[in-house]
Amino acid sequence: MGQITATLGRTIREFIRQKSVLFWTVAWPILWVLIGCFSFTGNVPDVIVPHLRGSITISMIAFALMTAGMANLPGNIASDRERGLLSKLKSMPIDPWRDFVGRFLGLLAFSSLALISIALVGYICGARFSYTIIGAWQSIGFVFLIIFASSGIGMLIGTFIKHVHGAIMTGVGITVISAAISGVMAPYSSLPWILQQFARTFPISSANSSIIYLLAGEDYAGYNPLGIIQTSLTITMSIILFAVGMIVYSRLCWMKE
Amino acid sequence: MDAVYVENMTKKYGQNEVLRGVNLRIEEGEFYALMGPNGSGKTTLASIIASVKSPTSGKIEIYGKPPEKAREFIGYVPQENFSSPMLTGKENLLYFAGLLGYSKHKAEEIANKLLDKIGLSEDADKRVSEYSGGMRKRLEVATVLFPGARILILDEPTTGLDPSARRKFLGLIKELKGEKTTILLITHIGADAELASRVGLIDKGVIIAEDKPEKLKKASGLENVIDIETAIKSERVANVLSNFSEKQKVLETDLGYRFYCNEFERATPEIVRALDAIGCKVTKIEAAEPSLEDVFFRLTEKTVG
Repeated sequence: MGQITATLGRTIREFIRQKSVLFWTVAWPILWVLIGCFSFTGNVPDVIVPHLRGSITISMIAFALMTAGMANLPGNIASDRERGLLSKLKSMPIDPWRDFVGRFLGLLAFSSLALISIALVGYICGARFSYTIIGAWQSIGFVFLIIFASSGIGMLIGTFIKHVHGAIMTGVGITVISAAISGVMAPYSSLPWILQQFARTFPISSANSSIIYLLAGEDYAGYNPLGIIQTSLTITMSIILFAVGMIVYSRLCWMKE
Repeated sequence: MDAVYVENMTKKYGQNEVLRGVNLRIEEGEFYALMGPNGSGKTTLASIIASVKSPTSGKIEIYGKPPEKAREFIGYVPQENFSSPMLTGKENLLYFAGLLGYSKHKAEEIANKLLDKIGLSEDADKRVSEYSGGMRKRLEVATVLFPGARILILDEPTTGLDPSARRKFLGLIKELKGEKTTILLITHIGADAELASRVGLIDKGVIIAEDKPEKLKKASGLENVIDIETAIKSERVANVLSNFSEKQKVLETDLGYRFYCNEFERATPEIVRALDAIGCKVTKIEAAEPSLEDVFFRLTEKTVG
């Protein structure tokens, strides 16, 4: 066993065994998939319903990935700090980068579990997708970008907000607000112009729209997010957020006081 | 070789100087207790030795190396309960074994041995959230018992434990003492510090006295401590008792007072008479052995707890 495997194992166990984490990251989005699939499709022509349900399912997956990265991850870091584990780790011959990788892989595994659960419920509720093989791979790439961006923001929150409740509440707040104003939780077409610009710039909502575009079609995404400039911006910003989060966490959380 | 060598160390947080020129030497295999009240700087000193914090100035070496290069020798148990409540006792140990680079098979083997040693074999598969405070602390001490750690730094390990859990825990510490591991115990409890071969008393960021527990007591000049239980407790009673106590120092206890008087036989009737004169009945009076808390109180006029 190495440091990465040990940290990965601990992180995934802690996520899976905390009922509140499971509820807000898996059960809550599933609840919205159920509500969305059966309540918001009343006056919609039958032919559109499967893809509409598909786009709702994708948005809820994006929301779950945001919650995992931006609330669960900082909560986990803050909890380690509050209960003295970070102090303990600092006294051990441990490489902060390996700890980071272990945590991130734990988050990735947990996010995958949330993704599969929500997608399965969506499918059972009638969500359908139309895609090409290349489109499916591209979608997986955008899923990774959501996880990168969310965990980068999460690492920043976990580094700067010292207390568990503060870190979780900040993460939930940023998740809910950014999801609401960027079109993850509301149709892109219903957003005012200024928020539409934000939705195109914010890497998570842009990646979410890209997945919907690839798996359900432009009508459901509200626009074509796969322009070269927007896609480059989404990739660049996700990677920058991830890199900044990683550097700040590895330097500041592990810094000797 | 010195396990710990600290020379003229200071630590400042802004304008607040927490450590003010600390000098400390702990020999290899020695059991050293650092005792002081809250805010005296003992936890800061421990975390600097454990390589968690940096000193503002001064020199520090662990087995001849700077702390950050001696991490493989250091086994640090912070004050907080750092074990993961969501993991079982065994999973917690396996996590630390993984961090230290043990193979899965070896980690299992060592974890089982350690669980046996700390008496938690039967509870190994229970989640730590179901453990009592004492069980959790023993588990956390087990995380520093993996082969390789040459100095154990235990920060207030018995704080908050009930008497039975504390006894069990101290039994474990005594076992470790027998294994010739270097131990630095941070505590504010005299009875815990008395297990050590040497005790340092720290106050306001300075080690004010340091010796074997018996020698510290002897050097303090205290022969007798008087414990008195009275029908009433008031400032007036304390004032009367202060006339019989060295330097007028009187400590309030649960049932009465504790003060320092080397002439117990001669003073007892006078004390009873004086209290009787102010209408206070004495229900019990006895001479006791001075504790390290008493030594600290005598030196600083402050209580440790």
